Amino acid sequence: DRVLVLGETAAVKDTHSVFLNSVKERGHELTVRAADDSQLALFKHGQLIFDHLFILAPGVQVFGGSLSPSEISKFVDAGGNVLVAAGSNIGDALREIAAEHGFEFEEAGTSVIDHHNYDQTLDSGDHTTLVVGKDQLISAELIVGNSAKLHPVLFKGIGLVAGKTNNLALSIVRASGTAYSYDPKAVRATNPSIAGSRTLLVGGLQSRNNARIVFTGSSELFSNTFFSAKTNSVNPSVQGAQSGNADFATAITRWVMKESGVLRVKTVNHHKKGETVPPVEGYFITEDVVYTIEIEELKNGKWVPFQGKDVQLEFVRIDPFVRATLKNSNGRLSVAFKLPDVLGVFKFLVDYRRVGYTHLYDVQQVSVRPLWHTQYERFIRSAYPYYASSFSMMAGLVLFSIVYLYHKDTPVKGAKVLDSEKKKN
Amino acid sequence: MTSTTAARTASSRVGATTLLTIVVLALAWFVGFASRLFAIVRFESIIHEFDPWFNYRATHHMVQHGFYKFLNWFDERAWYPLGRIVGGTVYPGLMVTSGLIHWILDSLNFHVHIREVCVFLAPTFSGLTAIATYLLTKELWSPGAGLFAACFIAISPGYTSRSVAGSYDNEGIAIFALQFTYYLWVKSLKTGSIMWASLCALSYFYMVSAWGGYVFIINLIPLHALALIIMGRYSSRLFVSYTSFYCLATILSMQVPFVGFQPVRTSEHMPAFGVFGLLQIVALMHYARNRITRQQFMTLFVGGLTILGALSVVVYFALVWGGYVAPFSGRFYSLWDTGYAKIHIPIIASVSEHQPTTWVSFFFDLHITAAVFPVGLWYCIKKVNDERVFIILYAVSAVYFAGVMVRLMLTLTPAVCVLAGIGFSYTFEKYLKDEETKERSSSQSGTTKDEKLYDKAAKNVKSRNANDGDESGVSSNVRTIISIILVIFLLMFVVHATYVTSNAYSHPSVVLQSSTNNGDRIIMDDFREAYHWLRENTADDARVMSWWDYGYQIAGMANRTTLVDNNTWNNSHIALVGKAMSSNESAAYEIMTELDVDYILVIFGGVIGYSGDDINKFLWMVRIAQGEHPKDIREENYFTSTGEYSTGAGASETMLNCLMYKMSYYRFGETRVGYNQAGGFDRTRGYVIGKKDITLEYIEEAYTTENWLVRIYKRKKLPNRPTVKSEEATIPIKGKKATQGKNKKGVIRPAPTASKA
Repeated sequence: DRVLVLGETAAVKDTHSVFLNSVKERGHELTVRAADDSQLALFKHGQLIFDHLFILAPGVQVFGGSLSPSEISKFVDAGGNVLVAAGSNIGDALREIAAEHGFEFEEAGTSVIDHHNYDQTLDSGDHTTLVVGKDQLISAELIVGNSAKLHPVLFKGIGLVAGKTNNLALSIVRASGTAYSYDPKAVRATNPSIAGSRTLLVGGLQSRNNARIVFTGSSELFSNTFFSAKTNSVNPSVQGAQSGNADFATAITRWVMKESGVLRVKTVNHHKKGETVPPVEGYFITEDVVYTIEIEELKNGKWVPFQGKDVQLEFVRIDPFVRATLKNSNGRLSVAFKLPDVLGVFKFLVDYRRVGYTHLYDVQQVSVRPLWHTQYERFIRSAYPYYASSFSMMAGLVLFSIVYLYHKDTPVKGAKVLDSEKKKN
Repeated sequence: MTSTTAARTASSRVGATTLLTIVVLALAWFVGFASRLFAIVRFESIIHEFDPWFNYRATHHMVQHGFYKFLNWFDERAWYPLGRIVGGTVYPGLMVTSGLIHWILDSLNFHVHIREVCVFLAPTFSGLTAIATYLLTKELWSPGAGLFAACFIAISPGYTSRSVAGSYDNEGIAIFALQFTYYLWVKSLKTGSIMWASLCALSYFYMVSAWGGYVFIINLIPLHALALIIMGRYSSRLFVSYTSFYCLATILSMQVPFVGFQPVRTSEHMPAFGVFGLLQIVALMHYARNRITRQQFMTLFVGGLTILGALSVVVYFALVWGGYVAPFSGRFYSLWDTGYAKIHIPIIASVSEHQPTTWVSFFFDLHITAAVFPVGLWYCIKKVNDERVFIILYAVSAVYFAGVMVRLMLTLTPAVCVLAGIGFSYTFEKYLKDEETKERSSSQSGTTKDEKLYDKAAKNVKSRNANDGDESGVSSNVRTIISIILVIFLLMFVVHATYVTSNAYSHPSVVLQSSTNNGDRIIMDDFREAYHWLRENTADDARVMSWWDYGYQIAGMANRTTLVDNNTWNNSHIALVGKAMSSNESAAYEIMTELDVDYILVIFGGVIGYSGDDINKFLWMVRIAQGEHPKDIREENYFTSTGEYSTGAGASETMLNCLMYKMSYYRFGETRVGYNQAGGFDRTRGYVIGKKDITLEYIEEAYTTENWLVRIYKRKKLPNRPTVKSEEATIPIKGKKATQGKNKKGVIRPAPTASKA
């Protein structure tokens, strides 16, 4: 894919060469530019000319060319993925990009400080070079790689915080509980505006169109220096080792460049049991239906069957009437169930949201209709008394008619008595 | 020799009378038909009202797909996502009637579009109603009164209001069915023949298939039977006609899918069953009285009746309690207690035609007949017989119901026409007859002889002769004057009826008209403009949310899915829409997402001063929503501090933030009606609106018609990415926004000397 890398100067090619080479080795085409280059552009004739954008330039106040925070938002809305690495010397443009995507960077000049987890070798005395343990990472293998094997990651830079109403934010790397954000040179006069594990070192966002954005307060995280450094944490429980920055950077760029965690629906099919195509005029109530969805996952550039076992199907009419876990047989997920005895317009809904994966959403609208007037049972047991009564009535009428027509009244004593009484009255 | 000439003159006289009758009825038909065409002549031959759009759509569906497809039609475009079983929730009589006419015309090679059949159905049936009324009145009184009644009903505004061309509604054919059923009932009661009773049941079946008002018949006929029993007028004729009518009618009415088991399972139908049972007992008593001793009879009578009565009451309540028989419905209670609906079922009270009637509208709809019908009633009471008891009961109950609900004026009109016909006919008979020569009076006796053939009430004729003597004292001048005055009244009735029909009842709801200062007519076609826009510019399966009044229209004209419509069968669904309309934007958005709403349609009359718009209906939305969601919606929150309903300066915060207010008045603040008027002046309500700078966050304006009458909004999708607004930022955002460089060089913040990269 085409990647635009912006550094403060073109020197980023040298300072971050290991990182950039590792990306290039994965088959991407990198264009490295200075952030103030007057020829910068993301769109040409309304089309994206880059698929991904890496900003490794902390101090950008104003982008060169046609680039601007709103242009970058447009880029994201059009499906582009963005990695923003800032630093203590943060420029307004980056802070604005963060705000456009539901994050906030700390003010320029501040750094994340942690007196208990800094690196003794690399730190210059401000306690701003942090050693990040794996417990501070988000537990999502797709985003941060295999965190169990990951060595501690070095971080030096500015704090980040997710917006209060940002419910799509992913806290990829949190600061430790003892960290806070402040200007290391200034005298502490006020409380830090962000502190503790609320401070993010790396924050991510998957927008609703599945574009991915990663913010980090440290461009050094990706630098050659940190890649090759050995950690030497002040915290005695953390053993010194080769820094995990390279592995972490690979994992996070794989995620942000949509090399991992991408799902797609290949086919969806639903039909009556024993048939193969959906009915033309909708289903009838209480029919048995089979729903099948084929989901594929992008792995190493190839679409392979998705193996997840926790995909659920909902059969919804405002509320779900049926909710079933789909049985996965090599990417073909299916379930058979009986339609509810409720008519209406229903949706077969698969809404699969997992951290790290793209949002999988599929809706098939069907109508569930009542039975035709000819589809009901013709003779029902509970109606037997009525059948009996109607036939007995008919028989009775015939009998009565015969008796009435052929019966001759013979005068009876009792009748006479009645007649005489009647006369008296 | 003389006898043959007499017979010949008599037969020619009969022939002349028949001819005259036919001519008068044909004219009544023609006049009734013609006077209902105002709307069509002025505008177009389309369905003009809101509600009938569904009937038209259903008819169209039936003609296209056949009756069985129609009967089993599941309409997934209505009541989304619930859907509607049309075949089981509609009175199919109207559709079947017009479908049948269409089929007949088609097979005669008159190829007419079904729309024309629908448009002209109601005027055509008004002629049939006139004939049915003639027949009924003839049975009750005399052919002359029948002709009067037929002429009255043909043009009476109370009936015209529901049967103008283009108003394709159930009532259009139901009044005919009503009158014809009553005629057949009276006929069967008079003859005591099973045939007439069966015909009556068939006619009743037609009525059941056509209109929910059939409940009126199935309660009025038993009431009549009951009254006759109580008055001691029980006869075997009554027994035969009622029992055969009831049995057949009940079974037939159960064939209509919408009615189903109601005749045996709801309280509304129980009186008919009770009278049926009572009639058996009374018949048994009559049979037994001649066969057993008086004492035995009394024991049987008193003991049996008490036990049976007590038993039936107990059984009835047991069945209601057990759920086998539904208790009386809310609509029924609202007929007795006019405040009931307002408290318990706001959806019924929200309809303007369910409001109590003002006395003005009695005059407006009935004119002189309203004044004369008590006279007819009085004559009927004075000369009561079995069948006149019926018209008395009919008139009295109809007057009551018409007083409760404007809409039921419709059932009163036929009764009034019949009685007014009797009143006029009787008076004219009295006052014109004596001035006639002897020959005329002999012809009168001839007609009374004819009458005898089918009017067996011989005492009727006698009493009339007796009355003649009473009124001979009035001088001929007075008679002339009175006659002339009455004729003038009749002329005025015709003028009034035409005027009302033309000016009040022929205004289509689909197009609005107003006039300029010069008197030119301006047609405002906003509704069709909006619906056409929806039809052309939205996805075929787009779902449109609107208040229920417009549901049928959207479905019929725009062919889009609606959430609620004029068939208000599901109160909670309507309440959900009402809640969305009366909530603030974000709460409404949640409801709309749940319901998959794509577009929202509101009617706004503030620009042209159209008073039937959504803001004026809004309080009902709030009330209905409050009925289902009392926690979220409170009616008092929508009032000003002084307790008024206003969208003006003093409007409450809730009001100003609700979706309905925002949608109605969005961008309205920019408009200016006149030079000297402030922006945002609402012409319907006559004040400047309370809040002019309205911003929409979750919806966007999609279309507004020429006169702003219909405004369509689109529900936005959720924003692609969350943003941090400056007011809710943790870290204050300072400084201006970084502007976009126009292919200039950018600016990099200089690295502070202290910190190193």
